[in-house]
Amino acid sequence: MGTSASYAQGDADSDVEAKILATEHMWGQAYVSKDPKALERILDDAFVNIDSDGVVQNKAEAVAEVSTSTIVQFLTESMVVHLHGNTAIVTGIFQLKGVDHGKPFAQRERFVDTWLYKNGQWISIAGLVTRIGP
Amino acid sequence: MRTIGWLLVLVYATSLPGSAQKAGDSNPATAVRALEGERVKAEARNDNDALDLILDNAVVYIEAGKVISKGDYLLRVKSAKPQLQQIVLEAMTVRTVENTAIVVGTYRKTDGKDGKSLKRWRFVDTWVNKKGSWMLVAAAATPLAK
Repeated sequence: MGTSASYAQGDADSDVEAKILATEHMWGQAYVSKDPKALERILDDAFVNIDSDGVVQNKAEAVAEVSTSTIVQFLTESMVVHLHGNTAIVTGIFQLKGVDHGKPFAQRERFVDTWLYKNGQWISIAGLVTRIGP
Repeated sequence: MRTIGWLLVLVYATSLPGSAQKAGDSNPATAVRALEGERVKAEARNDNDALDLILDNAVVYIEAGKVISKGDYLLRVKSAKPQLQQIVLEAMTVRTVENTAIVVGTYRKTDGKDGKSLKRWRFVDTWVNKKGSWMLVAAAATPLAK
């Protein structure tokens, strides 16, 4: 069973948080650069995501979505990392813009991601996106 | 009279979440599944003491796009009218990796002032085993599109 000591040797919590936030940023940029390989590295094989309509998405579907992405800008805000040993919870808001079939679109939603320190790196094992409440 | 009092204490104690955690130690998925059920029951009966044992102090609760702290969540449960807020767990899958468990499922919730408004939600809960007890560290739900 993992403990915080597994990753904490030489890594302060702030370093770990910075690494996770950087990976969150890479995740968003993968949609802009249409880089499925980046997502292959970031997501656990058993990754599961729930979109804002409640639809369940697995890793293969998430990676495929990146390949056909029409997103041109992906920004994140208000991200907070909560560390629980080898598990981390990230909450935040993403704001994206894109063009689909010539029609511009914009989206701003809240997300929560679960990260796990596995085989020497932080990978995402679950996520959920929901519309921002009033 | 004293015997009845002790019996009541015993019945109450065996229904606390801690019991579910210990009973399911050999099978983490079973323990977490039982705790999900305990959480719903506790919320339905406004049992903040039970919820306090289940929820990690740093739990992140997201519902309807709002982030709610443990304190705010407990305050909301305490002030809610149980008969107007009924939650029924539907399908649920539990996956455990090391000391972490991910639960994905759906529930339906009766809400609103009239108690008749029904909405279905899909949720993702994250549990972490801390010192032998499974604690809920994140709970997020989004309404299912009709």
